Amino acid sequence: MPRASKRKSEPLSSSNAKASRVDSSTAASKKPLSKVDERIIGIFHNYANKSLEMIDPEGIEALCSDLGVDHTDVRILMFAWKLKAERQGYFTQDEWLRGLKALQVDTINKLKKALPNLEKEVWKPENFEDFYFYAFRYCLTEDKQKCIDIESVCLLIELVLGSKYKLLVESFTEYLKSQSDYKAINKDQWISFLRFCQEVSFPDLENYDIDQAWPVLLDNFVEWMRERQR
Amino acid sequence: MNSNQKKRNFQIEAFKHKVVVDPKYAEKTWKILEHAIHEIYNHNASGLSFEELYRNAYNMVLHKFGEKLYSGLVSTMTFHLQEMAKTIEAAQGGSFLEELNRKWTDHNKALQMIRDILMYMDRTFIPSTHKTPVHELGLNLWRDNVIHSSKIQMRLLNTLLELILRERTGEVINRGLMRNIIKMLMDLGPSVYQEDFEKPFLEVSADFYRAESQEFIECCDCGDYLKKAERRLNEEIERVSQYLDTKSESKITNVVEKEMIASHMLRLVHMENSGLVNMLIDDKYDDLGRMYSLFRRVPEGLPTIRDVMTTHLRETGKQLVTDPEKLKDPVEFVQSLLNEKDKYDKVINKAFSNDKTFQNALNSSFEYFINLNPRSPEFISLFVDEKLRKGLKGVSEEDVETILDKVMMLFRYLQEKDVFEKYYKQHLAKRLLSGKTVSDDAERSLIVKLKTECGYQFTSKLEGMFTDMKTSQDTMQGFYSNYGPELGDGPTLVVQVLTTGSWPTQPSVTCNLPAEMSALCEKFRSYYLGTHTGRRLSWQTNMGTADLKATFGKGQKHELNVSTYQMCVLMLFNNADRLRYKEIEQATEIPSSDLRRCLQSLALVKGKNVLRKEPMSKDIAEDDTFVVNDKFSSKFYKVKIGTVVAQKESEPEKQETRQRVEEDRKPQIEAAIVRIMKSRRVLDHNNIIAEVTKQLQSRFLANPGEIKKRIESLIEREFLERDSADRKMYRYLA
Repeated sequence: MPRASKRKSEPLSSSNAKASRVDSSTAASKKPLSKVDERIIGIFHNYANKSLEMIDPEGIEALCSDLGVDHTDVRILMFAWKLKAERQGYFTQDEWLRGLKALQVDTINKLKKALPNLEKEVWKPENFEDFYFYAFRYCLTEDKQKCIDIESVCLLIELVLGSKYKLLVESFTEYLKSQSDYKAINKDQWISFLRFCQEVSFPDLENYDIDQAWPVLLDNFVEWMRERQR
Repeated sequence: MNSNQKKRNFQIEAFKHKVVVDPKYAEKTWKILEHAIHEIYNHNASGLSFEELYRNAYNMVLHKFGEKLYSGLVSTMTFHLQEMAKTIEAAQGGSFLEELNRKWTDHNKALQMIRDILMYMDRTFIPSTHKTPVHELGLNLWRDNVIHSSKIQMRLLNTLLELILRERTGEVINRGLMRNIIKMLMDLGPSVYQEDFEKPFLEVSADFYRAESQEFIECCDCGDYLKKAERRLNEEIERVSQYLDTKSESKITNVVEKEMIASHMLRLVHMENSGLVNMLIDDKYDDLGRMYSLFRRVPEGLPTIRDVMTTHLRETGKQLVTDPEKLKDPVEFVQSLLNEKDKYDKVINKAFSNDKTFQNALNSSFEYFINLNPRSPEFISLFVDEKLRKGLKGVSEEDVETILDKVMMLFRYLQEKDVFEKYYKQHLAKRLLSGKTVSDDAERSLIVKLKTECGYQFTSKLEGMFTDMKTSQDTMQGFYSNYGPELGDGPTLVVQVLTTGSWPTQPSVTCNLPAEMSALCEKFRSYYLGTHTGRRLSWQTNMGTADLKATFGKGQKHELNVSTYQMCVLMLFNNADRLRYKEIEQATEIPSSDLRRCLQSLALVKGKNVLRKEPMSKDIAEDDTFVVNDKFSSKFYKVKIGTVVAQKESEPEKQETRQRVEEDRKPQIEAAIVRIMKSRRVLDHNNIIAEVTKQLQSRFLANPGEIKKRIESLIEREFLERDSADRKMYRYLA
């Protein structure tokens, strides 16, 4: 996870905090907790910030070191996806409960062992697109924010696509950093880039059709690539 | 009746007439007839009794000797025709055709008489036995025994072709005789005419014209060649009308067209120093017309001319619009475009019979090269400006209309009509504000033309400017009738109140007006705001003018016509003898670039230097000092100093206008996309581009890349989305 954007996130606004607190209490009051649920919530409280009733960035760093992974590791982003975490850097109790139950784990040790399977799950074609879109949404930390700045986007792309489309991602991030037309990337461009990875042959770019509805950003990228290859 | 039925059988017996048939009857009768035929062929028919001969022939047929009669006729006639053939063969040289013709006439006469004698056989025996009728038989026998006789057939053909060749090379031949012989061949049936004459004739002609055209093309220039080809073509048409079958006309003209035109088309149009391009350059209407009418006859002929013309036009047009010399003078630039258009209009009218396809080619070429130069819209507007400022002085109303129509024609070629509108607005504003427009009617006439061409929207702001001018007049009248008496002898103020939005946006930098002026302006402001509540006035001092009465050192009096800025500067010298640049700048607060320009025109232009600069140098420097030029003199009482004339824009100004235009286009493109998507809901990329381009065509040529960017912006703002399955599709989000 790009650290830069994490720092940006502010403490919850009071109205938000209240809403989530009410949610969790009503959910909890509905039915008595099972043993498993209790254990899972127990772990939650090990990391949670007491005043926020959420796991905050500090809690996540602690969790990461217990799991033995770096907090910038893609697996943490995958974990967030599994939890369907709404806000970057924060896990609510509901999210935590939902996520760990879905992973069928109730101890840190089991969670650690579940991570490789989670990774496999994410890479399944039917999940990956959802994960990819999630990654973008997850990085929108500000209210009404629609774009992610180039620097963060480069880190994010490397994180989620770097292992699968290494060369293409390297070229693309290099291009993003060298151009000056765009200062940030919007959702449309983000989604289109995944399609680009999946559909366009690289590095020859032979089947790239400029008449198709690719965003201008990608047109420019292709032009830049061709210029460089010449 | 009953009584009749009694057996009284009564019978009438047929009258038994014993016809004693002389066994030698047939032989004897035929002898008589045979003799008669001989006599006919020997020109001795006057002694024959046709009545008797007819009766004999009749009887022979009646007595079933028709067969004998018919075969006898065939053999007798054949005998005579063979005799004739011998005589014809024996004819020497030139008399050959004459002999043939004479014998043909004889045979025809004889045939006529024989047919009369054998009329009965012709009518009864021949149809019932399906034999060839006498007349036709006579022709067939003539064909087989005379025309197709081995010694005549080739000789006849060669003689005919030889005569035609002689006629083609300028000799006079006996056309009557030719006509008769050809007529004979035609009488013998279309196949005889075609096989024995027409086919070889066409072949020989093709050879002849192939050789001749080869010779001509080597030594003639294009114009001469075309003249020769045209003459040949007419000769052949005349020949057909004189002595050939009319059906041959299209065939022989085809030959000439193919050999003389089609085969050399490209070489002709591209002929060095005389080809199509040279004809166009030199306005050779006759040659061009000839080329048009000749080439029209062959396939691909007109497209060839059209293509060459288009290429040439595009090339010269491109040179014209990119010529750096021409770019210096916008008026000259547009004038040469108009001249070029006039020239080709004339060519198409005079030489190409107003061919629609040529007109279209002309239009598309103009559209092509006018838009090669991005400054064309600006220059066309400047051209209009010049015309409406002074160029149309003393020109009749009709001529004004003609000029305006021509300008409109160029306007139609422009792809970036919105750029023209921008400049036109600027130039019109300057004309109106400086009161420099020559004719209000002409101004309005052009606006009406633009309106009919581009619609109400295009001109509404321009019309708003005219309205403002009129309203301002009324306002000033109101102002002076209210305040007139108390204003006394002070300066006179004329204010033009311009509606924001209707006029080109101007940076609103105000300068410090002289005290007497600013007091007056304040008065006007309070008057105006008093009558129009809720409005705001800001002074555009950069656009005004002033008339000053000045008295110089030795008492010379002049009236100076200056800009508001210049007025502010000059008024300072009422209270000071010398002023430094810095002081002037401080006192007036005129932006420095404008101030420099204004001082330049006051101090450095010969004949208009009402100020003197120290030191005397070409440029205005920060520490220069200015004094009133006491020695100023001019032969005019009124002196006009540095008027604001619309000029070609400088490079940065151009960039700025360009940027403004691009900015203005964005909402228009977006509006078009939304309009289209609203009605279509789902549409693919290429179709959006095409439809948007089409919708905006009347204003400007939208750049596909820009349209794409606008689509993306709309996606970002969630007016549209990409279809999740189909790459090319967009959906409208309501």
